[in-house]
Amino acid sequence: MLERLLARLGASLMVVWGVCTLVFLLIHLVPGDPVAVMLGEGARPADQLALRAALGLDRPLAVQYLDYLARLAHLDFGTSLHAQRPVAAVLAERVGPTLQLAIAALTLGIMVAVPMGVLAAQHRGGLIDRGAMGFSMLGAAIPNFWLGPILILVFSLWLGWTPVSGREGAASLILPAVTLGTGLAAILARMVRSSVLEVLGEDYMRTARAKGLSPAAVLWRHALRNAWLPVLTLIGIQFGALLGGAVVTETVFAWPGLGSLLIEAIQTRDYPVVQAAVLLISLSYLAVNTATDLLYVAVDPRVRLGQ
Amino acid sequence: MPRSRSILTRAGSCAGSWTARALVALLLIAPLPGCDHGLPDDGVIRVGLSGPARNLDPRFATDATSERINRLLYRRLVEFDEQRLPVPGLATWQRLSPSYYRFRLGAEGRDFTDGSRLTADDVVATYASVLDAANASPHRAQLATIASVEALDPDTIDFRLSLPDPLFPAYLAEGILPAAVVRSGRKLTDAPIGSGPFRVLDWPEPGRLVLERRTDGQVMELLAVKDPSVRVMKLLRGEIQMLQNDLSPELIDYLAGRPGVDVEVRPGRNFSYLGFNLEDPLTGDPRVRLALAHALDREALIHYLFRDRAESAEAIFPPDHWAGNSRLAPYAFDPERARALLAEIGHGPERPLELTMKTSSDPFRIRLATAIQAQLVPVGIALTIRSYDWGTFFGDVKAGRFQLYGLTWVGINTPDIFRYAFHSASIPPAGANRGRYRSPRADALIEAASAAQDLGEQARLYRELQGLLHEQLPYLPLWYESQVLARRTELRGYRLAPDGNYDGLEFVRLAPASALERR
Repeated sequence: MLERLLARLGASLMVVWGVCTLVFLLIHLVPGDPVAVMLGEGARPADQLALRAALGLDRPLAVQYLDYLARLAHLDFGTSLHAQRPVAAVLAERVGPTLQLAIAALTLGIMVAVPMGVLAAQHRGGLIDRGAMGFSMLGAAIPNFWLGPILILVFSLWLGWTPVSGREGAASLILPAVTLGTGLAAILARMVRSSVLEVLGEDYMRTARAKGLSPAAVLWRHALRNAWLPVLTLIGIQFGALLGGAVVTETVFAWPGLGSLLIEAIQTRDYPVVQAAVLLISLSYLAVNTATDLLYVAVDPRVRLGQ
Repeated sequence: MPRSRSILTRAGSCAGSWTARALVALLLIAPLPGCDHGLPDDGVIRVGLSGPARNLDPRFATDATSERINRLLYRRLVEFDEQRLPVPGLATWQRLSPSYYRFRLGAEGRDFTDGSRLTADDVVATYASVLDAANASPHRAQLATIASVEALDPDTIDFRLSLPDPLFPAYLAEGILPAAVVRSGRKLTDAPIGSGPFRVLDWPEPGRLVLERRTDGQVMELLAVKDPSVRVMKLLRGEIQMLQNDLSPELIDYLAGRPGVDVEVRPGRNFSYLGFNLEDPLTGDPRVRLALAHALDREALIHYLFRDRAESAEAIFPPDHWAGNSRLAPYAFDPERARALLAEIGHGPERPLELTMKTSSDPFRIRLATAIQAQLVPVGIALTIRSYDWGTFFGDVKAGRFQLYGLTWVGINTPDIFRYAFHSASIPPAGANRGRYRSPRADALIEAASAAQDLGEQARLYRELQGLLHEQLPYLPLWYESQVLARRTELRGYRLAPDGNYDGLEFVRLAPASALERR
């Protein structure tokens, strides 16, 4: 078990290295010059040369690459070209809000999707099923840039229940979490439904019913537990995506997350921030995927890592 | 029925229990600041901005929001009057010789927020820091003529220049920092110490900056809300008391009719234009540029797209600028003339001239480009619009990868803009002559104006230069967009600035409830 876990971590490290290399190369291929960004148009050529040398950009690409890896190993992400602050500090202030929104949206999505999916499966073809799947279709189809402002209009402006935007007070988390969680719940509910339906048709379910177990016990203790694996996979993927930042929702609700930082950094060619943010997002994906794999084992003892 | 209820109850306890616990844990572990979702009634003035401040060290800030906020935190040696001529700020000055200036600090605005007193040494340290190449300040190029800066006594600073410049004081608009901080090598990017009318109380997150007005302790929160519709909803709900610019005309109209909200408009100075690539065989042809000038109905664009909240422009400087040219005759909307010019190069409605215009991905800019595109069709110009994210768009413009583009110059006060944007030695990366305009006559006028030792003579030469640019059309001037303020009626005393700065916050106040009732 430990051996497999270590192997998994080793593979993850290789992926991280691959991402670092790819980001480094792409950043150097994309048109744009950090020196021009820092000094602006019209800087004297001598100043441009001096800054280029000071930043080490006049060295061969391979040397810059090795230096980049060495700095990464020391968790030195450099300095933001625009904020003139350490990139680590710039990223750190975005991680908390991103995690907060991601966890809230995921929690909400699961709380809605699991009961909805199970009930839809239990009442297959019935009114509940059709209602749940209607919601699911609608939830997946409505874009966040529309849903967000509509929620603000109704719950903030008309009803006055929540703040319009910003990150002030627990209530300010509600609307962005609902905006993000709706689409998530829609996708998850469909997955839960189809997964439960598949399990309900298995022989051991018939056996469970034949043993005289109550329908609730059959459904929640046996069917749902066996239906969790594909759902967990989807949750892992969605959570990873949320950790990468939800640009639209963050923009609508003025939520200071990673997604809006990354977009801003790309637009202003703040290369150190782009490099570090992409790396952080990749690491988040890896961490979530590894955690999902470990959860498989917890949920289903038949599953062993690597099998 | 009882069975269903039982299932639901279990569903709640089984599926919902850990998620509910997780939600509670989330709120406990990562508490959000405050817990009240009602409207704040704390006397704080809240201002909605379209973007966050990025850098509160005036030596390094380049984005408009940071520069405007830095004006509140730091004081400068000079300010500008209505004609954009330099006037004393922290200091008055004497021109001791053509390349030698003496500045004397006055009594006002000399208390830094750390309790120390602003002296000549702080001025010297600030400018020495900007001029030090190792610090890579983006403002260094503009101060390139400074040969030395020296403190004579705590109130007197001498600047010696490498070239005579009668307009030199106009370039001393750098916020002054404490010498001790500058010499320590610390950057004040997020913990500013200035002598401006405001100090930073807190910067809890990137889009939320809390300031205190030093004269009366009034607290203000500057909140970045990128989405204009959301900014408007915050104003309507009373979560912010004012917002300024970056609103579509529809939103301004909408706000103008809402109870509890006042909208103010004043003429602006930010200059919008169409830039041409003069190295392109098509846009490099003066007849094509002239045809475009006559094909565009700017008044209609201003009326229908801006709802008359813009003034048509003929040059970078408006006529009331000290070097502005009020004698430039606008290009008349004359489709016939445009068609005749295009016919000379073998194009017309039957055989349209195909051009491409690049613009940013801002929805209003795209709409504007679409309107321009429609206006050009009848004269025989088929305009393709390409919109890109800001970084790509601006990168292409600087690299000369365009035929036409649309941009706006913001906060232009001094005539060094002409050297920067039109001198043949300023083609990127050496400057902002993005259209690759090369005119020996324009270069000569720029050189002559820079060398002139009398402001009247400088103004005359710059007017002549603007006449030449108006004739040769490296830019097609469009308009100066108006400055727009939308505020809650309880907010009083804000003065809109023509360049969109936030200096008016120094005078703003919340009216007491009784005053509102009388209203």
